[in-house]
Amino acid sequence: MSAQNQNGYLLLFRGNEWYHELSVEEVQKVNNQCKAWFERLAAGGKVKGGHLVRKGAIISEKSGRVVSDGPFTAIAIARTRTSPSPSLAYGTSIEVRPVTDECPLETCARQIPREEQFASASA
Amino acid sequence: MSTQSQNGYMLIFRGTDWYKGLSPEQMQQIADNWMAWFNRLKDQGTAVSGNPLEPEGRIVSGKNRVVSDGPFAESKESIGGYFLLKVSSMDEAVAIAQQCPGLQYGIRVEVRPVAGECPVAAEARSEKQLAHA
Repeated sequence: MSAQNQNGYLLLFRGNEWYHELSVEEVQKVNNQCKAWFERLAAGGKVKGGHLVRKGAIISEKSGRVVSDGPFTAIAIARTRTSPSPSLAYGTSIEVRPVTDECPLETCARQIPREEQFASASA
Repeated sequence: MSTQSQNGYMLIFRGTDWYKGLSPEQMQQIADNWMAWFNRLKDQGTAVSGNPLEPEGRIVSGKNRVVSDGPFAESKESIGGYFLLKVSSMDEAVAIAQQCPGLQYGIRVEVRPVAGECPVAAEARSEKQLAHA
């Protein structure tokens, strides 16, 4: 994985059951910590935007429309180093993915002919 | 599930190996169609933002904040990119998701309303209200 990415990184917050065994007060406390964390990152210019998402639908050619589970949050950040999310202690996980300006599909389409060339050159 | 969201909707494209059996020309064609679709939505003001994601990444999890390398889920569940849409109903968002050029190749589009406040906090509040009732 490249250590640098000019397009930024996307943090995907996964997990929708981590708060089920917490008290209402604990949930509110974690929520306030998460908000403060986000605001700190925003104030430091490290986060470009963040969205909380609710339950929704899945569209696929095979199954038509299926309802999926939430909640789930996505935040795009501008830089890599950041302090940890307060909800981690309760069993959530965060996926960190580099944002790209070229579709990996195009990269793959470009690489296949090159790989075939190498293969025929070395044969 | 509410059918209205003032905050817009997110399309999450799932599947990262659906194009493996296609020719480079087919891949390029789908990538071009996809880009044209996104640009059209952007020109109309329907899409606010969108990005493909690199296939690799990291997972951070647990109390000890353990970092592990991707891949993450099964490749058919893995997220390949997203659009953020400025539409006000689930029906509109679903209709746009149904235009996705990758659907016929096995990609799945998840449509999720953007929430104005954390759904966890909202649930905690409503449970508290129930307890007091």
